[in-house]
This record gives sequence, C-alpha cells and structure tokens, in this order.
Amino acid sequence: MSEHRLAEVFVELADTLVADFDLIDFLHRLTVRCAGLLDVAAAGLLLADQRGALRVVAASTEETRLLEVLQLQTDEGPCPECFHTGQPVTVVDLADAADQWPRFVTEAHRIGFASVHALPMRLRTEVVGALNLFDTRPGRLSPRTIQLGQALADVATIGLLQARTISQSSMLAEQLQAALNSRVIIEQAKGVIAERHQIDMEQAFLRLRATARAGSRRLSDLSRAIVDGSELV
Amino acid sequence: MTNDGFFRVWTQIGKHAQGSSVSVAHLCATAMAVAGVDGVGVSLVAGPEALEAFTTTDVVAARIEELQLVLGEGPAADASAEGRPVLAVDLATAACAERWPAFAPAALAAGARAVIALPLQIGAIRLGVFTLYRVRPGGLSALELADALVIADTVCMLLLDHAAVAGPDATGLAWRDGLPGSDAVVHQATGMILVQLGVTAEVAFVRLRAYAYAQDRRLGDVARDVVARRLRFDPDQNPGAGVGEPV
Repeated sequence: MSEHRLAEVFVELADTLVADFDLIDFLHRLTVRCAGLLDVAAAGLLLADQRGALRVVAASTEETRLLEVLQLQTDEGPCPECFHTGQPVTVVDLADAADQWPRFVTEAHRIGFASVHALPMRLRTEVVGALNLFDTRPGRLSPRTIQLGQALADVATIGLLQARTISQSSMLAEQLQAALNSRVIIEQAKGVIAERHQIDMEQAFLRLRATARAGSRRLSDLSRAIVDGSELV
Repeated sequence: MTNDGFFRVWTQIGKHAQGSSVSVAHLCATAMAVAGVDGVGVSLVAGPEALEAFTTTDVVAARIEELQLVLGEGPAADASAEGRPVLAVDLATAACAERWPAFAPAALAAGARAVIALPLQIGAIRLGVFTLYRVRPGGLSALELADALVIADTVCMLLLDHAAVAGPDATGLAWRDGLPGSDAVVHQATGMILVQLGVTAEVAFVRLRAYAYAQDRRLGDVARDVVARRLRFDPDQNPGAGVGEPV
C-alpha cells in the first residue's frame, strides 16, 4: 500500500473522533479500512464484556455468517488466546487448528477463510478486546502488515476511550457496556429493516448506515428510534 | 453465553432460591452476597423518563429509590437515560456532588456511600435499573462487576417472562441456553418478529423465547430459522403462546 493511502486512512479515522461521535460507526469504518489496507478478506473487532466473554462490536462486512464466525470465539479460536495473553496470535493455516478449535475452523472454512490473525487491543495493563484479520489464503502476514494492523487496533482502543474521557476503570466498564448494548440495538434495528424491506442483514445494515450518515445521526440513536417505531427506515 | 461466570452466579442463585422458583428477591439476595454490597433495589421504567421502585432489600435501598424519584436525579436515572452502567464509587467526592447536587448529599445522609446502577436492558428494550449500594466507598472488583451484570441480565429475563402470558419459566430457559447477550441472530430475529406481529421489541423477544421454550429448541437455533426466513410469526395465531409458522 502507498504511504499516501495510509496517511489518508489515519487522517480519516482521526477526523471521525470529534465530540459525541458514533463509536460503532467508527469501529465499523476501521474494520473496513483494515481489510482494505492490510489486504485481507475480512476484519472484525471483539470487545471484552465484563461478564467474562468476548463480543463482536464491528466487522468489515455485516454478513451474518461472518458475525457468527467472529462470535464463535466466545469459546474457541485465536481471539480468546490473544485476549488472555495480550499477544498477537497467528494461525498460518486453519486446517492445522481443526483439532484445537473444531467449530471455529469448520465455520471459518465454510466462508472460505484459510488463515487468521488476532491482534490485542491494549489499554495500559489491560486487554480490552482483539482485532481479527481473516484471509482466504494460508500464510503469515508480513511484519510490516502486522505492525500496521496493531496500529489500527490501537486506534480502535483510542476510539473506545475517546468516546468518553476515561480516568478510571469504572469509566471503562461504563463505556464498554454502553458499546455492547449499542451493538444489540443495531442488531434489533437490522432485523426490523430486513423484515420491512425483505432484504438480508448486510443490506439492512448498509441501509441503516446510509440513513444515519445522510442525517448525521449516530447509528445507535437511529437504531433505537427504528426499534421503538418512532422512525421508519 | 455459557461461561464460568454464568455458572458461578447461577450456582449461587440456586442456593438462595433453595429449590423454589427463582424470584427477583432471590436475585437481589444473591447480588448482595456475590457483589459484596449492603443492599439492592430494582426500579422499573414507568414512562418515558420515569422509574418506579419495584423491590428493595432494606430501608436504605428504598430511600435511594425514593430520593431519585422525588429529586429527578441520581445514578439510576442516568443509567436508564444513557443506557450504560453508572458507577458512583464514592458519593462524598466533589465529582458526585457536582453531578447530583441534590441526590448525593441526601443519599449520604441516608447511609449510602457508593451506588452502582446497572441498566436492565436488552438493546432498545428498556426495563428498568438494578441498583446496588454500599455503606463504605469503593467500586466493584472485576469479578463482582461480572457477577452483578449476570444477575442484572437474569432479572431482565425474569421480568420479561413474568410479563408474558403463558411465558416460559425463565429459570429453565436460562439454565439451558445461558443469557442471550452475545447472539446477534437473537436480536436480529427480535427485530423481524416485531414487524411480523406489529408489536414492541419487548413483546417480540418474549414471543421468540416462548416459542423456543414451547418447541424445546435452543433460542439461537429458532432465531436462525427466523433470520433465514424458514420461520415466521403470524399475528392471527394464538397470540398468547408465541406460535410461529414454519414457512
């Protein structure tokens, strides 16, 4: 990738971090840029729920199958390991990990993924989540690509913190729970839109996001209005 | 979400319920034990910006609920409005006095020093607030917070299922499926059923759960059928029992 393109992406992401910005939209944008910049098939972000599980907050495509593969990592896959050790985890060929993570590997293979990388989202001594990079080819990403992926994971952490000034861990807890609940509201709104227009979940998300952007609304605010029935999209 | 935290908490809930069906009061007692707090209150959404006390474990908890109702401010009011936990770990600090100028001193006078308000919500479904207090300052540890959140989720399920006509037994369903926090398809299906039946998200979610329970199937599997359009909910069929129509 060109240095110029790289600079553009970081400027775009930094520009998004204005007062009262939309965290989920920001993280979604980041995963889309990740997939493009790092030349991987898909990227997804999981945050640590204080209940003790990892939960999906954003993915480069909202295809239900991708979200499900990401979510399988509540129990198995490279994300839990990355989360617990705070270190990147690389699976060069998923076929070699079939015994270790049978469900995760089966589902990942089903959508055509052959390799996966997990990079930690770190905040001081705490790991707050992980960035997943999937590719259709087996193999290792170059050290430079990993480095860039880690920089993007760090930007995601900054976004999470920036959404509110976080001075202590209790604020982080408040922020994480708010982000996770926003994600649930968005799923509910996707269901409403998908049923109303007889479209799939990814198309429903695109419609939701386009409407939010056109009206400079936060995804979670618009989604809530859709689910409450006060707004039709 | 079937993980260690869930089973740890549910084992405790089982001890408090002692074989009878689990009530909100059992969940409050469990919260006091596992989160190391001195009392708990549950308030329910009673209007666009109104909460009303549902149950409290003691006079201080009752006073915290009452103060917020009368003064129109406080951690539970904020948690409900913002859809996020509010952890006021020391009401005697300047930050708390500034945020809740009337509530903070009054709650201190009533004997509370720390107040933790956890919204009872599932996405856009807002049920109320689970409020825990301590007579001494201090936040919850990671483990205490994890357990308190799981109990708050369980309170949500119990409230929803009690409100349902011929609803499932929350205890049974929760034991079998865990809590539906992390399964995106469950929430997508809720949105779809809301449109199919022309009901609120709350009713749609209850109907989905009732169907899964009646058919003895996992919630996530039923939700997947709804999202894949293999199953529709029909408003003309037996509205109480959560009947779905295989397509």
